[in-house]
This record gives sequence, structure tokens and C-alpha cells, in this order.
Amino acid sequence: MKSRTVSLINAFLDVRRWRAHAPAGGGHHLPISLYFLETGSCEGCAMELETLCGGAYALEQNGFRRVLQPEDADWLLVTGAVSRRCAERLDHVWRAMPAGKSLIAIGRCAVDGGPFAGGYATLGGLAGLTRVQRSVPGCPPEPAAILAALVAFREGKAA
Amino acid sequence: MIPLSSMGRLVRGGERLSYGHYAVDASQWQALWHMSAVALPMLSFWADELRAYGLFLEGDQPLLVSTAIDDKRYVGPSQRYPVAEWGERVAFDLYGVEAMDVPGDGRSALDGGAWDITWPLAQRPGPGGSHGGALKASKAPFWVDGNGVSGVFGLVPDGQQGGICAEQCEAGLGHRGVIAQLLGRTPDEAMGLVSRMSAGGYVAYPLALARAFMQAEGRSIEPAIRDGWMVLLEIERISVHLHDVMLTACAMDAGVLAAHCTHAREALARVCVDHGATRRLTDMIRKEGYRRGVEIVPLAQAVLREMKPRLSKLALLVDVYAPRLAGLAVLPVDLARGLAIGGPLGRSSGRSLDLRRAENGMRLDALRATGASEGDARARQAVRMTEMFDSLRLLERILSSFGLGDADEAYPAIPQAIHQEGLGAAEAARGDVWVWVRLKEGRIDAVHMRDPAVPVVAALGRIMMDMDVTMMPLALRSLGLSTAGVAQ
Repeated sequence: MKSRTVSLINAFLDVRRWRAHAPAGGGHHLPISLYFLETGSCEGCAMELETLCGGAYALEQNGFRRVLQPEDADWLLVTGAVSRRCAERLDHVWRAMPAGKSLIAIGRCAVDGGPFAGGYATLGGLAGLTRVQRSVPGCPPEPAAILAALVAFREGKAA
Repeated sequence: MIPLSSMGRLVRGGERLSYGHYAVDASQWQALWHMSAVALPMLSFWADELRAYGLFLEGDQPLLVSTAIDDKRYVGPSQRYPVAEWGERVAFDLYGVEAMDVPGDGRSALDGGAWDITWPLAQRPGPGGSHGGALKASKAPFWVDGNGVSGVFGLVPDGQQGGICAEQCEAGLGHRGVIAQLLGRTPDEAMGLVSRMSAGGYVAYPLALARAFMQAEGRSIEPAIRDGWMVLLEIERISVHLHDVMLTACAMDAGVLAAHCTHAREALARVCVDHGATRRLTDMIRKEGYRRGVEIVPLAQAVLREMKPRLSKLALLVDVYAPRLAGLAVLPVDLARGLAIGGPLGRSSGRSLDLRRAENGMRLDALRATGASEGDARARQAVRMTEMFDSLRLLERILSSFGLGDADEAYPAIPQAIHQEGLGAAEAARGDVWVWVRLKEGRIDAVHMRDPAVPVVAALGRIMMDMDVTMMPLALRSLGLSTAGVAQ
């Protein structure tokens, strides 16, 4: 019983010890609100975005927060090839976002449809629908790479 | 020896097309759905323009039955097996073949009026939007983002009675035409695409396909390859379980547990990369082996070193937060058995089936998790935890006898068999994945992939019955529901 208690305390202390910090000089920006939208894929990129929010990465410390309503979002992070049935939803979400919004393709499928491009069921990726200025490559990209790219985008660097 | 069921006898009365696959005529097919005897559990139903197929489980062995489709119509099994409804709807969307005598409303599963071609896999497709008049998709307002499912799933809460309007929910929004892309490909070409079927099965899906090819081509697999596949599958199981436990933890504000899961999963990814594998084990399985350059034995040893201390702490934390999940989103035992729901969901609801137990060369003594019968979110979390410990134990056993034992042989060929057919399976983290494939002149002539989430979607109405809408994201996350393999 005593060892169980000690182990539990250690488990809580681990999280304190692991707490991610923003780099020096960071963290004083107004938070940027991120809205995640999956449009048809293996869900690998969507899972990496969930991982990014799972407490091991300094998402909030770097000035980002996830929101669940497009009306609250600054940036739209799209994962997956755009299935024909999701195209309308993508348009709806984009239109619901306030002015000053930005579109970011996460992973290969979101850029060009990846292995699911072509055929009767998808419209390919965002590149076939609009000009994609910001994207994070990978299949799926690592959460650390996604975070680094988001920080770079905020600093005005395009990927 | 398992005694033959009445249903099994009826199926075996047909013509044997390949090992475990029998063709029956229309009257035998219809009789299957009207038998008074206890029915075999149905794993999957699918159809193309020429044949309808039902895959059953007899004991722990698959039994496949098919019948010819006449004039694009067949008697639908969903009158007896609700799990077949999804396959009936998909078959209509893709091929225009129609199920008769079924209770469903014939709603579109995949098309929904969005495609510019109707019945795209039929010999004579139609123009877009001609999807049979009333056979449209649900017009209900969907709740998609933040509903607890990582993929695209249109959830329709029932605002009046609580729970969901199950018949209006949409699991096919993310359809991407995988079957169409697979037809005509060589087995090697197909492996890459199937490797991206579902992130919960980057190993399991191509492994099931590789096993199906092995059967179709009559090849054997040497013990070292078989063990390498097992190692990769167990590492994937740990990774996906960590993700699902993390998602549940996030939804119940258990930040400490979520952080531990995320750190553990990322540590696992680093170990994989350090030993020549990819982070999430994408593109690892080849048709006759696994990716060149990966050091399987050192990888398994490193996983054991890295995960053992982490899982011990995780188990404590899962226990601390468990009361928050008690009684939530119960999957009843009868439903789990009736719909043949597998994986940790089935095993926490009294259905103990684990395909690994029937695998040749399996170290059975390592598989101790027998599951539970409570069927709630707490039981699912506990089963996932126990299975991760089992995976480590299994890795230890495999390492102690790596590459020993008999080769995995294909089933004996059927004399006068016309087609090269194979059925493969893999016990993925979220349940059993089944792949059936037929080859013609070295290319894929027909293929079906059964995702473990299909029966879960069919069960959602009862699992979520009377549930308050605020609890739905937590409930769905506790189910580990993914629609990537359902929509395909």
C-alpha cells in the first residue's frame, strides 16, 4: 500500500517534471485558436493532432489553443483527402470562421489527396481546390513537426 | 472438435469454392436467414454485381458462404443479422445491387447524392445524382467536430428522448473509394494502399491482407517472419491502446493520465525509429515479410525496456480515475455477442474471442486477459490496460523462442478450384480485421475488408440509449471508435 502511494505520487510528479515550456521569449502572443477538420483519410494525421493536445507538447505554452466551434477559430487545420461528402462541410466551416482566418493542410492527404487522390469519391487534396500557402508534410507528420510548423507560421515563415 | 451447427451444415451443402468458402443457390441462401436454430455469428456481409457474401464464425474458424445475384437483387441477411445492413447499403451505393425483404429504409451509406457518378463500380454506372429517388442520405443536422470521434462521423443526438437517432447517423462521410483503387492491382501494389486503411491498423490491415494473399497463392510463411509480424502487431496494440486511453483521459479531465499516455506513446515511437521502423509502424508489412532494415529482435527488447516501468505507473493512474467511467456507455453482453463485436469492446462485454489464440505459433501462456462482462467504459479502460501487459508478456515469450516452430502453411488447395482465393485475419488493437481476396492472373479481381468498427456503429443506438448529450464525447472516446475503416 505504501509503495502504491509512493508510485502514485511519483506519477503525478513526473507530469510536473515533464511539463512542456515555451522557448524563451515566446508565450507573450495572443493565443491563436485552432480548429481541426478531418475530411476523409486513415485518421493518422487527426490522431497526431489529438496527440498534440494530449499534454506532452507545449501547444498552449506556445500560444495556441484548440476550439470546437469554427466561429471561434483563427486557423483551420485540415487533415485527410477531401471526400466529396465532406467538401460542403469544409466550405461551411471556412465560411463560418471570422475574418483574418488561415488554412493549413496537415499531412500529405490534405495537400494532394495522397493515396486517395482521384476516383469518384474524393476531390483530392486542398491543392486542387484552392491555393495552399501553409502545409505540414508527412504521412502522418510528427506532433513535434506540426507544432514547430505552427510556430513558424505564426512568425510569418511559410512552409 | 466443434459440432457442426445446422447453419454450418446448410452452408456446407453448397459447392466448395475454396477452403472454407461454399457457394449456395438462392433457396439455400434464403433458408439461412429463416432458420429457427441458433445462428452462427456473422462477421461481415458484402456484395458486388455478381455475388453476395456472408462471412460467419464457427467456433474460432471462418466460414464463408456466397450466392449468385440475379437481376441485381438478392435476399438481404439484415432481416436476421442487423450487422449486415451496412454491407447491403454499401453494395447498393457501389454496384446498384439491391437487398430484398430487409427492414432498413434503403438510405445511402456512402454516396448521399454527392458523387458525380452513380454505382461507380457497376458495369454500367449511371450519371451522378440518380441514386434511386428516395434513397438519399440523412438530412438530419450532424454533430461532427468534437463529438468524440477523431474521424468523420455524423452524430445525430435525439433532442427529445436522449441518446442518439442511430438510424440517421452517418459513418460513410469519409468514403475515399479504396475498393475501386484496389481492383486490378498486383498484390505488391495493393499492400501500400491497404497500409493506409486505418491508423488503428497500420500493421493489422496489411497483415490480414498478406495472410489472405498467402492463402490465395498457396504459400507458406517461415516462423521468423511469422514471429516478426507478431512483434509488430503487439507494438501497434500498445501504441493504439495508449492513444485510446489518452483520448478517454482527456475527455474526463484526467490530465495526468493523458500526459503519461502521450509520453509513453511518443517514447514507443522513438524506440521504433531507433530500430529501423517507422514511428507509427506505417509501411512495415510486406506481402512476404516486413520492411528491410528493421531490427525486429532488438526492437522488441527495447520496447520491453521502455514500456515496462511506464505501464506500471499507468495502471495505477487508470485505477485512480476508473470511478469516473463506471456505468458509462454500457455495451450489453447479448449485443456484443449478437453483433460479433471484438477487440477490447467485446472482451469487456463478455465476448472473449481473441483471434491470436487460434494463430499458429502463438505463445498462448502469455495471453492472460480474459476480459470482463460489465461492458462499461471503466471495463474497457481496464481491459486495454491488461492487454498492454499481455503484449509485453507475449513479446518476452516470442523473444525466448524467436523463429522456432513450424512454418505457417496455406490451407490445402481445392481440386478443380477455378479461383485463387484467400481469407486472412489479424487481431488488431480495436478488434478483428478480416480480408478476403480473389486473384485473377496475378491481380486483384475482388476484395473485401471487414473493419472491427462496423458492428460497433450498428450497436451505437443501444450503447448511447438515454445518454445526456454532454456525456457523448466521453462515451465515444471510451469506445475508441474510428470510421476510417468503415467508410473506406
